[in-house]
Amino acid sequence: MPAERLLDDSVLLEELRKGTPESVENLFDRFHAKIYSLAMSILKNESDAEEATQDVFLTVVQKAHTFKGNSALYSWIYRICVNTCLMRLRGKRRGETVSIEEFMPVFTEDGMHASLIDDWSKEVERKALDKELGQVIQRFTGDLSEKYRVVFVLSDVEGLSNEETAQILGLTVPAVKSRLHRARLYLRERLTRYLREGKTV
Amino acid sequence: MNCKELVYLLNDYIDGTMEEHLRQEFSVHIDLCEPCLNFLKTYDKTRVLCRQILLEEIPEEVRSRLKTFVLQKAREHHREIEKYLERAARERREQVADILRAYLANQLSPTMDVLFRAHHDRCETCGAFLRGIEGGKAITAAPPDIEEHIAEFLDALPPGEVPTLP
Repeated sequence: MPAERLLDDSVLLEELRKGTPESVENLFDRFHAKIYSLAMSILKNESDAEEATQDVFLTVVQKAHTFKGNSALYSWIYRICVNTCLMRLRGKRRGETVSIEEFMPVFTEDGMHASLIDDWSKEVERKALDKELGQVIQRFTGDLSEKYRVVFVLSDVEGLSNEETAQILGLTVPAVKSRLHRARLYLRERLTRYLREGKTV
Repeated sequence: MNCKELVYLLNDYIDGTMEEHLRQEFSVHIDLCEPCLNFLKTYDKTRVLCRQILLEEIPEEVRSRLKTFVLQKAREHHREIEKYLERAARERREQVADILRAYLANQLSPTMDVLFRAHHDRCETCGAFLRGIEGGKAITAAPPDIEEHIAEFLDALPPGEVPTLP
């Protein structure tokens, strides 16, 4: 079987159902980087992400015959990944997440900004490779509840469209957009406070 | 449009789904309002910055460990499926042979007996085969299509009825 033929989703699935070793290898080569990155962004822990990635591939191999083909293959695989990660988080009973409401923008009665809004977008460019900033962003996204984090990771980190994210999570597009917007507002505000207060966070 | 409304609509502005008349109001407001311009810049920067930082590269050792594991488990999985299918096929062959023996010895259950008689007259292939074994031919291996037909009778049995008499 020429390797290029396996790049066609339906051919790949058919071969997976037959259990050919090349098909499993092709599946792995095509999706492992994305799956690992997604698992890492949701779980925030390397060994959890590695185990979740294993589980995702085994599920795909074992369930290849149940895939109906009414969505794209990658979106089915992403959905399995999101579900696998959420199950792991539930099993872990993590510490509580922060309340997103505390970080929403505040306005005066007539709809003006109630606080000073600085532009730190240039300042942060110099810091982009700063290790501490990286860790801080990891922590801020880790503090987000799963509901917002998963949408944020799929849309803004993995770069999927709102429609794709909605399909993977079984949400409507407006729900995705609203969660994404709130996640960004939260992160913007936390970054603002961090940059304003320096290392006191 | 005031600042609060503008912030509410930032997502639409960034992903380009904002209606034209809103986009115009948006531009007018943001040209005159420095806080909103700053808000837009930092909102957009947050998105870009998080993407840069959170996109995780998989370490090479994790990659190769995962690949070995997944390929190995997939092989085991398919070997188990094959074993299961082989066992199922063997069991069916044995069951069909039992039924054929019971047929010759007049030991079929009542429903099975009816099904056999009806099928004997209706299906040429099975009819010929059954006449052959009635004439003393060995019954070790029924041809696949005949095995298929007889196995279908098993699904047609009423619940609780076994195909042969005790």
